[in-house]
Amino acid sequence: MNISRREFTKIGCRIVIGAAAGATIVESIISNSIAAEPSSTGDYDWNEHYWGYVIDTRKCIGCGRCANACKLENDVPFDEPVYRTWVERYRVLKEGEVKIDSPNGSIDGFTDDIPAEELKKAFYVPKICNHCDNPPCVQVCPVGATYATNDGVVLVDYDYCIGCRYCIQGCPYGARYFNKEKGTADKCTWCYHRITKGLLPACVQACPVGARVFGDLKDPASDVNKLLDKERINVLKPDLGTKPKVYYVGLDREVR
Amino acid sequence: MQPHLKRAIFLLGVVIVGFIFIRSLVVPDSYGQYGAYRGDSVYENRNFTVEYAGSQSCGDENCHKTLYSIWADSRHKTVNCETCHGPSEKHVSNVRIMPSPANDSREFCGKCHYKMVARPSSFPQIDPESHGENLKCAYCHNPHKPWFV
Repeated sequence: MNISRREFTKIGCRIVIGAAAGATIVESIISNSIAAEPSSTGDYDWNEHYWGYVIDTRKCIGCGRCANACKLENDVPFDEPVYRTWVERYRVLKEGEVKIDSPNGSIDGFTDDIPAEELKKAFYVPKICNHCDNPPCVQVCPVGATYATNDGVVLVDYDYCIGCRYCIQGCPYGARYFNKEKGTADKCTWCYHRITKGLLPACVQACPVGARVFGDLKDPASDVNKLLDKERINVLKPDLGTKPKVYYVGLDREVR
Repeated sequence: MQPHLKRAIFLLGVVIVGFIFIRSLVVPDSYGQYGAYRGDSVYENRNFTVEYAGSQSCGDENCHKTLYSIWADSRHKTVNCETCHGPSEKHVSNVRIMPSPANDSREFCGKCHYKMVARPSSFPQIDPESHGENLKCAYCHNPHKPWFV
């Protein structure tokens, strides 16, 4: 057989490309058919749960044990002003001004630097990622590195995050921060490594007064559902349509 | 078919095949398994180490049973062991690893019990200036059972 060099390269290229393409197409069909099967993640079935969180601001004493426990549990840098959960103090002065502060996220506690006589009212409000049903942070991520799981938790893919900080800008609750050690965006996971093992999030466990309640919204007898059925509930910034799953009891109109 | 069309179609084919080939190299295997994200990331998030073991594990297995039953009957029963004693999962899995001792300073008790305007008035609070003569709180109060010396 007589074949020119040009012909030989042509045929050779076609064979190589065809073989590679065929293999990848077959592989993608196989992997898609695997993914289409109903999947449970190990012994924990995430389709059986839908997590929710209730914060009773009337009980909070501002001790900051929640923020402290969160940093210890989740390796959040202690020497940087970044928090997955923190406690804010709202103080309404008699002249009408509202002072909001959270020194070191409440970990070191608060000091009374305004005498009680000058205050109309004062209270603490614990803050945390709201794990929105309609999360703006997930929408703005350009690489799909943040997502909502089937059990309603918004997580970060630390391998895939490129650290562009769009999600930090996108979160209307200021719940995300940039983790310099990881070089990625970071946020509260409701201690996903704990709740999937049947434990409570570290902040809920650390709260000495039971101001933080965590549970399964799909279970009618869970602690969160008992509170949601009984108390008058509000969420933060309901007008934004983010549908938060952190519900507040005794929320003041000044709280943003 | 005209030869220039043939060439164009062939080129298009090469581009499509090239796209599929490069995509298969770049996109991780578990991407799209559950949604528009890397499915393995869920497992990575589940596999972080637990630091707080929970009060149950302190009272179980005849370790701190007596202290646990005293605490579980006290007004401090809503305060879990590790809220004051610190994360102790490592100690639970290996008793030779001792957690650092609990902070017994006045300031630490005061994080909850010093008088603050913003605290609910029904919560027990003291004025550190006038109460206790600067003694450690545990001198009079048993932290595991307040008002039980």
